Formats: sequence, structure tokens, C-alpha cells
Amino acid sequence: MRVVVAEDLYLLRDGMVRLIEAYGHEVVATATTGPETLDALRRHRPDVSVVDVRMPPAQSDEGLRAALAARREVPGLPVLILSQHVEQLYARELLADGTGGIGYLLKESVFDADQFIDALHRVAGGGTAMDPAVIAKLLAGGPTDRRLDRLTEREHDVLRLMAEGLSNQAIAGRLFLSDSAISKYTTSLFGKLGITDDGNTNRRVLAVLAYLNGPARSA
Amino acid sequence: MAVVAMLVPAVGAAAVLVWLWWGGTAWSWIAPVLWAGIGTLALARPVCRMVRALVARWTGTVIPGGYRQAEPVVRMSTGYWWNGRSYEKSRRDAQQDQRLWLWFTDPATWRDLRFTAIAPVTVGVVACVPPTGFAAAVLGFARSMPLVGVLGLVVAVATAPYAWRPVEPVATRFLRASPAMALAERVDELTAQRADATVAQAAEIRRIERDLHDGAQARLVALGMSLATAEKLMDADPERAKALLRDARAGAATSLTELRELVRGINPPVLTERGLVDAVRAFALDCPLEVAVRAGGVPRLDPPIESAVYFAIAELVTNAIKHAHASRVDVTMAKEDGGLVAEVTDDGRGGAAERDGGGLAGVRHRLAVFDGTCEITSPSGGPTRVRMMVPCA
Repeated sequence: MRVVVAEDLYLLRDGMVRLIEAYGHEVVATATTGPETLDALRRHRPDVSVVDVRMPPAQSDEGLRAALAARREVPGLPVLILSQHVEQLYARELLADGTGGIGYLLKESVFDADQFIDALHRVAGGGTAMDPAVIAKLLAGGPTDRRLDRLTEREHDVLRLMAEGLSNQAIAGRLFLSDSAISKYTTSLFGKLGITDDGNTNRRVLAVLAYLNGPARSA
Repeated sequence: MAVVAMLVPAVGAAAVLVWLWWGGTAWSWIAPVLWAGIGTLALARPVCRMVRALVARWTGTVIPGGYRQAEPVVRMSTGYWWNGRSYEKSRRDAQQDQRLWLWFTDPATWRDLRFTAIAPVTVGVVACVPPTGFAAAVLGFARSMPLVGVLGLVVAVATAPYAWRPVEPVATRFLRASPAMALAERVDELTAQRADATVAQAAEIRRIERDLHDGAQARLVALGMSLATAEKLMDADPERAKALLRDARAGAATSLTELRELVRGINPPVLTERGLVDAVRAFALDCPLEVAVRAGGVPRLDPPIESAVYFAIAELVTNAIKHAHASRVDVTMAKEDGGLVAEVTDDGRGGAAERDGGGLAGVRHRLAVFDGTCEITSPSGGPTRVRMMVPCA
């Protein structure tokens, strides 16, 4: 894979580049500011990029903005956001276009190198990789979302893992169930959340979005 | 108003009447003049207090009295009482002397006297028009002079709604404390605010220091030890070394979580990255109940103000969840003339009261540093509504 790494702290950037290269991928460019990030994403069109939310010059959410801007130009451009903190607000913005190829993880997810690289692969493949902390908050939230009340406990578990970005096979592994059981659960929960397959969007992303944009959460 | 403004002239007029009634000797004027003089001095302050109260009630304009407060008298080791100016044998003497001296030296006293002299010929005259008209009407009808009666009635009715109007500008002009006094008061206020802010800041720094010391720092030391042990064991016992390394990784992750919580308590990252409105939205998303956030045209403000308002809102929403058992909270933020106005309303059970050292007092202190205000209405049974206003450009 061709990867762009955008991170302003030298130690982290260096460590990440080394980690990604250790797994046999190619880092085609690194960026240390918001504008540089946008520029690198436009020029290299990488298979996946790793972007920090907060970057110079203003030390605000420049990385996030650069990633969103790049995805507006190139829909579905895979971006994995690595941040010191994860916020539902940012997760919503990233998922809003419903096309997948998005990840949003805490920086310490690199502690488990295998899982980190796995998340990178999933995002590159058009899937999602959401931090369990965000997903847990999403699903623990609004007591008034009726649609979510209709799910069974098992379907909740499946939705949580699906939202994190795991494949049916991986979910089956985590829950000690068979693949076919999982696909039955996913079909029924898509039905309960009113998600139909139109071929253009990622149903798994829509499942998370369905919750995010539920009637209880008008901002 | 007519009664209040004319009280002092009435005393004077009564004195003159008494003088005329007594007549006779060359010294007979002394008693009435003394009477009028003492009466005026004694009435000046109550009359002005009444005027202030009436102006505040009718027009909402608050004119601070600005009277000097007496310092407490203290007993010295000699047994005498010190009142800040002189030694007296008994506490009563000391307090009397102090009161008299305070009355005499207080600029507010002279302001009051000046107003009692001015009020009758300005406010008083105008305020007397309707009663005079009414009196004329009564007299006119009683003495079968219907024209005078009707005229008096018309004047009384026509002027009644306006007769008290001059009191506000006159009182504002002549009863308000001098700029120097107002400044002195402001300095006292600011000194108190600075003390509040310094104490709060020191406590906050101590909390952060303690959290770092007991939490993340200790964990990092343990992490270093695990790594050192793992290094030692690497060749002799690779299995135990691996287990130690796994523990070390878990420890590093935990200390990061702790640091993140700590940072969020000092300054929420979204506040830095996006400003007040998005920070409040992010906070609302993390709340276990429905929190609707509406904001219109709120610009980025100075970071300390944003932080104060954010934490104030967070505190109020938390209160609504924890104490008011609310099922829904509405937060609105808007830029209005002269400042940022934020309102937090919940549908809880109400009855929120401000206690010393409590959350609401904390909110007030936080905002007071920026001259902000905080109005709480929380009738028992709810709903609770808190309106905060922070002046900003």
C-alpha cells in the first residue's frame, strides 16, 4: 500500500513511518501541517493516509479539515484519523458522507501494531475503523432513540462491532458465533434500522449513521 | 412621590407656621428654626432611601446608596473601645461617636442633603400637580364652581401618568455616587474577584499536580521498571519477559487514558480546536440524556472567557442530570448587545439554590471574574432556568 503520514510530532511521525514500513508498506509522503496534508493527499492519492487531528499552524483541527476537504474532492479517499482524543462530534462529521474508507482511532491504537495495521487495511479497503470508545458512547447514549430500542441485546453487540469496522468474519470470531449467524443478525438489524442496499453506499457505515442521525439527536 | 418629595418642605413650612402662631418675643423664632433644621437633617436619609426604592420599583434604574459602612468597634487591652477614630469608655459611646462622625464625613450624607433641597422645586412641584388639581376639583364642586372643578379634574387626570416621570433623571443625576466613590467601590469588587480567581487557580494547580503525581507519573515509573525487568529476563525466561512487556503496554495505555481525562478537565480539546459552540455540542453528545444545543452567530471569544462559559454550562447540565432528574436540557447561546448570553433550561424538579462552595456559587465566581452575571430561577417543582451573560466585544 502507498501511505501518507500526517503528524506534526517528530517522534510519533518517525515511529509510525517505521511501523508501517516494517509491515512492508510504502510511505510515499509525510506532512507536518494542515496545508501540507491537503497538498500531499491531492498529489499522491494514497491507498490510505494516517492523519492527526491537531496540527500547525493554528494547532486546531487542521488535520481533520484537510482530510474532509480532500474527501470532498476525491470521494471515498481512505483516511485514518489518529487523535489524542476521540469525539462523537468529529466521528459524525467523518461518517457524514456515508461512503466508508474512514477510520478514527486513538493514538494508542498503535500500541497493538497488528490491530493498527489491520485497521489501516480495512480503511484502505473502503471499510471503517472506529475506536471502541466512540462506539461505546454512541450506543450508550440517547435513551429516546426508539429504533435502537427495538434491537435485541445480541444485535446490539453485532452493531457495536460492526460500527468499529469489523467484518462479519471478525465479528463471528469475537462473539464465538458462526458466520451465517452473524449475517442473519446483520440482515435483521439493517431491517430494523430501515437501511436498504442501493449499491452505492456502505451499509455498515449507514448503520452507524442511522444511529447518529436518529431523531433524538438534533443539534 | 409628592408626599416623599414634599416631606422636608412640609417640616419647614410647619416650623414657619408655628413661628407665626407663637409670634411675640424676639426669641420665639429659635425653637421652630431648630425644629426645621434638625427635622431636615434627620429626614434627608430616609427620604432619599425612599426615593431610591421608588425609582428602582417604577423604572428599574438602581441607584446605589453608596453609604459608608461602619467598621466594627474593638476593645483594646486597656479596656477602652476603639472605633477607628477615638477611644471611648464604653462600647455604646464608641459606636455613637463613630456613627455621628461617619454621618458627618460621608459624602453620601451631603449628596442626600443636596437632593432634599433640589427635589421639592423639581420633582416635588411636578408631582404635586395631580393632587393639586384633584383638590381644586373637590373644592370647586363643593363651592358650586363647576368650571374650576372640571378644570381641576381634567388637569389631575391628564397629568397623573406623567407626574412622577422627572424623578428618574433628577435622582440619577443628583443621588448617584461621585465617580471617585464609584471607582473606589469597583476597586474593592475587583480585589475580591482577583482573590477568588487566585484561590481557585491555586486549588486547580494543586489538583493537577496531585493527579499527575499519583496517577500518570507513578504509572510511568512502574512501566520503566517492568521494561527493565523484561530486558533482564529476555534471554533467561522469554515467556515471563513477554508477559511483562504485555503488562507494560497495558500500563502505558492506562496512563494515556488518565492523562486524557486530566487534560479534558483542564481544557477540553474540542474547545481549543473548535471553540465554545462545538465544545458544548460535543459535551451534549456525551450526555446520557437529550441535550439540545442552539447557537446563533457566536464568534470565537478569548480563550479564558470561552473556557469559563463552557465549564459553567457543563456544570449546569451536570446539575440538571444529577440533582434535578431532568429528562431534557436546552442550551442556547447567542451574541447579544454587549455580550454573550447563554441559557440552560431543564425540565427537572427545580428548587435549585445557591450555597457557599456549591456548584452554582462556583458558576457565579467563574463568570464574575469576567464581569459576567448569572440569574437563576428555579421554583420548587421546576423548571430551572439559568441565564448567564458575559460582556465581550
